[in-house]
Amino acid sequence: MKCVVRAGPPSVHALGLAATGLSLLAAAAVLPLDAPPLSLFACPFRAATSFPCLTCGCTHAFAAVARLRFADAFSASPLGALVALACAAHAAWTVLRLCGLGYAPAGFAVTGRVRLGAAAVLAGNWVFLVLHGAP
Amino acid sequence: MLARCPSCRNTFETERTGPQDCPSCGKPLVVPEAAVPSTTQLATAASEEQGTPWERRAELGLWRGWWETIVQVLFEPGRLFRSARLDRGAAQTGFAVLTVSVPWFVGQMLDRFLLRPWTQHMIDKLGASGPFGPLLQKIAAAGQDNSPGATLLIALLTPLLVLVGLYANAAVTHVAALLLGQAKRGFAATFAACAYASAPLLLTALPGCGAPIGTVWTIVLTAVGLKETHRIASGGAAAAVLVPYALLCCAVCVLAALGGFALRGVPS
Repeated sequence: MKCVVRAGPPSVHALGLAATGLSLLAAAAVLPLDAPPLSLFACPFRAATSFPCLTCGCTHAFAAVARLRFADAFSASPLGALVALACAAHAAWTVLRLCGLGYAPAGFAVTGRVRLGAAAVLAGNWVFLVLHGAP
Repeated sequence: MLARCPSCRNTFETERTGPQDCPSCGKPLVVPEAAVPSTTQLATAASEEQGTPWERRAELGLWRGWWETIVQVLFEPGRLFRSARLDRGAAQTGFAVLTVSVPWFVGQMLDRFLLRPWTQHMIDKLGASGPFGPLLQKIAAAGQDNSPGATLLIALLTPLLVLVGLYANAAVTHVAALLLGQAKRGFAATFAACAYASAPLLLTALPGCGAPIGTVWTIVLTAVGLKETHRIASGGAAAAVLVPYALLCCAVCVLAALGGFALRGVPS
């Protein structure tokens, strides 16, 4: 199975998603975690149940990835770290495609097995947060 | 010439043959030398997806195209979402950014310069008790800056925040739809639903109750939009829209906090 395929310039949506990912990473790099606005909000799910939600720790993970502290990122939230890395990778690849790279990642069919795997990954991330104690 | 994407099955117009990206789903494809002929199916698809008034603003005019789109999406959403073209991502982005940014900015300005004493009184009352009291006080304190610099910053940040929020919302909704097996026609279909469904956020121009009403209306319209653009059942569309709100509690809160604070000025 091919991992990359030949492709032209990035689509509007590829550009939009790259800009969004970069904006989130830039915000995570610039905004301090211990000052408003990021320091002010608390997870309502955790407040109500004392358990973390699926995305607890993602802010810390994005901030850590933006500062290139990958171990801290995965420790805060493996899911958040993966999403942040995916944002960075997509943005970098989109820039390369804008510069003339004629390849794009190959798409894949989202089968039932893939969906089941994704659900298992989400559940595994949540168990990690519960056991590890989300930041 | 007309071509059809083998991934999302969407038809689109293209000027050239050979390798290129599908304008709807972004996946690469090859348009053969002999383009796909116009069949009855293509004609039917073309008549269904003739474009929303906003996508036909070149012939209708900017104001009329925008206004008819707003009226349709609010009162005949099924018809509007059925007519949306999936290869008009840039136009849909423009519609959402224009439709949300301007009222949101107006609402913030009204709140800051006309209704501040009243909202401050409400925040003081709410912040006097309850677990979120200190939080509300700090939010209120961060929104005190009414200087021209803060106003300019808000004006500049609003479209960017709307764009980021639009794509983040579409991406999360699409991932949920994929996991639930409801994403039948690619990201472009989810994006079209999210972009046009943001029309009720016009109500953010009304300080106070406008934002919550607009948000709930937007969620409902997003579900209607997913149903029509992906050609899926109502239950699946509702699940794809609601699952992220149920599971991604923190993400929704962070985005809301960032948006709120950015629009209230630079936090101290």
